[in-house]
Amino acid sequence: MLDKFALLGVPQGFDEPEGLDEKFRELSRKLHPDRVPAAQRLRAVEQMTSLNDAYKTLKDPVRRAEHLLALRGVQGEPKMSPEFLEETLDDRERLEQAKTSGGSVEELARGVREKRDQTLAAVRELVQRGGDLAQAAELLARMRYYARYLDEVEGRSAEI
Amino acid sequence: MPALFQISEPGESHAKEACTTGAVGIDLGTTNSLVAIVLGDGKPRALAVDEGSTLLPSAVHYGEGGGPGSVVVGREARRRAADFPHDTIISVKRFMGRSSADPETRRLSPYRFAPGESGVVRFLVDGGRVVNPVEVSAEILRALRTRAEERLGIRVQQAVITVPAYFDDAQRQATKEAGRLAGLEVLRLLNEPTAAALAYGLDKRSRGMFAVYDLGGGTFDISILQLQEGIFEVKAVGGDSALGGDDFDRALAEILLEGRQRTPRLVREAIDAAKAAKEELTRAEKVEVFGRTVTRAELEGAIWPLIEKTGVAVRRALKDVGAKIDGVILVGGSTRVPLVRRYVRELFGMEPLADIDPDEVVALGAAVQADLLTAESPQHDVLLLDVTPLSLGLETMGGLAEKLLLRNTTIPANATQEFTTFADGQTGMDIHVVQGERELVADCRSLAKFTLSGIPPLPAGLARVAVTFQVDADGILSVTAREQLTGVSQTITVKPSHGLTDEEIERMLLSSIEHAEEDVQARLLIDNRVEAQRILKATEKQLQQNGDLLLPEERTQIEAQMAALMLATQGTDHHAIHAEIEKLDHASAEFAQRVMNRGIERALKGHSVGEFDQSEMSPHAKKAYEALRDK
Repeated sequence: MLDKFALLGVPQGFDEPEGLDEKFRELSRKLHPDRVPAAQRLRAVEQMTSLNDAYKTLKDPVRRAEHLLALRGVQGEPKMSPEFLEETLDDRERLEQAKTSGGSVEELARGVREKRDQTLAAVRELVQRGGDLAQAAELLARMRYYARYLDEVEGRSAEI
Repeated sequence: MPALFQISEPGESHAKEACTTGAVGIDLGTTNSLVAIVLGDGKPRALAVDEGSTLLPSAVHYGEGGGPGSVVVGREARRRAADFPHDTIISVKRFMGRSSADPETRRLSPYRFAPGESGVVRFLVDGGRVVNPVEVSAEILRALRTRAEERLGIRVQQAVITVPAYFDDAQRQATKEAGRLAGLEVLRLLNEPTAAALAYGLDKRSRGMFAVYDLGGGTFDISILQLQEGIFEVKAVGGDSALGGDDFDRALAEILLEGRQRTPRLVREAIDAAKAAKEELTRAEKVEVFGRTVTRAELEGAIWPLIEKTGVAVRRALKDVGAKIDGVILVGGSTRVPLVRRYVRELFGMEPLADIDPDEVVALGAAVQADLLTAESPQHDVLLLDVTPLSLGLETMGGLAEKLLLRNTTIPANATQEFTTFADGQTGMDIHVVQGERELVADCRSLAKFTLSGIPPLPAGLARVAVTFQVDADGILSVTAREQLTGVSQTITVKPSHGLTDEEIERMLLSSIEHAEEDVQARLLIDNRVEAQRILKATEKQLQQNGDLLLPEERTQIEAQMAALMLATQGTDHHAIHAEIEKLDHASAEFAQRVMNRGIERALKGHSVGEFDQSEMSPHAKKAYEALRDK
């Protein structure tokens, strides 16, 4: 598997590597198709595509953590616990109720945001202390649910 | 006998290349179009191309007969619009990449539409001619190109053309096609706000997070860029590809037309009057038009709902970035409207920047990018990192859009997703590419459909097809579908479902040959002018260095001929210029021979090369010279 940390020349880690932005800019200046002779352009497009992708992965806390776990050999879609699935259904139901009754969506969103932050902190703990990586992957998978939920709430308020 | 000018230009072919071709930046606008170029001093300049103005109204009039010269572009075309509303296409940009079925298309226009094969908009103009938006845009680009060539006395073959950041794939493809049709190599399609930021960034040497609020004639764009260490990173873009100053005019025209019988002509006149009133009202409080008084408050009341629409896109872009804004740049003529400025000030909580002419700033930035992409050592060390404006995805079961590349992904970019078959023994898979943010395919823009066939018949779910999206630096998409087991694959550059078919593009290229005669005339004029300049310079130089070889009467004769040639270059008759070139050539032939002989004499006397400047010779003369010297 391609090590995106190595591609950008930064150390692997849960937190955003120091100097990531500078490294990205430095490599962009070197690799971007606009900066190379025509004959090398096709290759430059490929390299720049990989660089953009690696940077996007490492900039985002969830993607970065997913990539880190993948590099450490955690594979496949984790199985979500029934408790969590039940919890998500409850959250959804409350959101629907709030929408139809005109209740405060913002308060619900705050709750989910808190859960999201706590979950990410728990993943960090597991990864950095050498804990159960499979469990970390399961927690990480929950982030997608939170993101979708918050997108729906925030997306809607941004449309108004 | 060697003519004087043949031994005069050092490194001839190379020098000609360097000083006779140029890469320009073009702002192909809804209302006005501009062309700009970076000259030796590193500063971009917009060229005066229409009656002394840098703004070429994006109006194309198709006149009687259809012969050469029947197509008129710019102010003259705009003047004819009121008399020939059907035959004068204005704001063609709004139709780029749009389908004729689009409700927007009908709403907009006094035009007559012709039915066509592939759903592309077709205008029926004078004499039953049918033209599509790409052809109309190509006329504007061609006018910009030839007028720039005339002004600069060089050939223009390459261009960076700007597009609204919010243009989708179909609109980008159409723009690129128009460039090709106008005989231009399109170096890059550059997002307009990015171009504006480029023009500002170079000016201000600033760093930080900037918002570009671009309200033009027909489109609204909002872009957020980060500028740091010479790299412009576009962080987020958004906007509305059908909202602009033209809508302000129309909203005001609605008021002017109240209670009147509407004819195409009257509507056109009302829109023109509204436009004039709008411009007047940026300064005045009230104005008399169309037989009535319009106050600024009335205008503001009419356009307020439109201005408010821009806030939606701005808020979304700000949310996508989630960072503090350090400055707001205003772009587009419509930002001159005081109410727009007030709105922007409140929206961002700061005074916006507007020190570069908002009409020119985009073209200036495009010229800078053209320079960056073509110059061996560009004038500025800047790199642009742009993004995809809209999410790109595929249709999946149940008419849902599965997004592969999210909006605001830095380009070039790619993404791959695997799909499996859903029926036993399924051997083909339909790939439907869509663009947009909505969940349902029906709400997104359909870009392309194709079928991957040759999948081995297997139980459902076993065959795997990997679909890869690749977006290049112009923001144009190609899609590859590959069956993993057998390696059967298919790649397409996305041709929009309602875009132009290959046959149509073929036909357009053919019909552009009809313009070839005009193009050839223009080309010949430029070529002859350039040639004349070279000869004049060379003769001048030889007169200075070897004037002692001439008798006073001989010198007078040559100088008289130089004056005649100079006069001819002021005109537009390339035959006349050519004739004068020949005459000067003839008049100076004897002089050239003497200069040559002097060189040979010196060489034979064993003078060093340094004493006779070889760089002054043509390759031919040089060879002869060296052959003599070796003896």
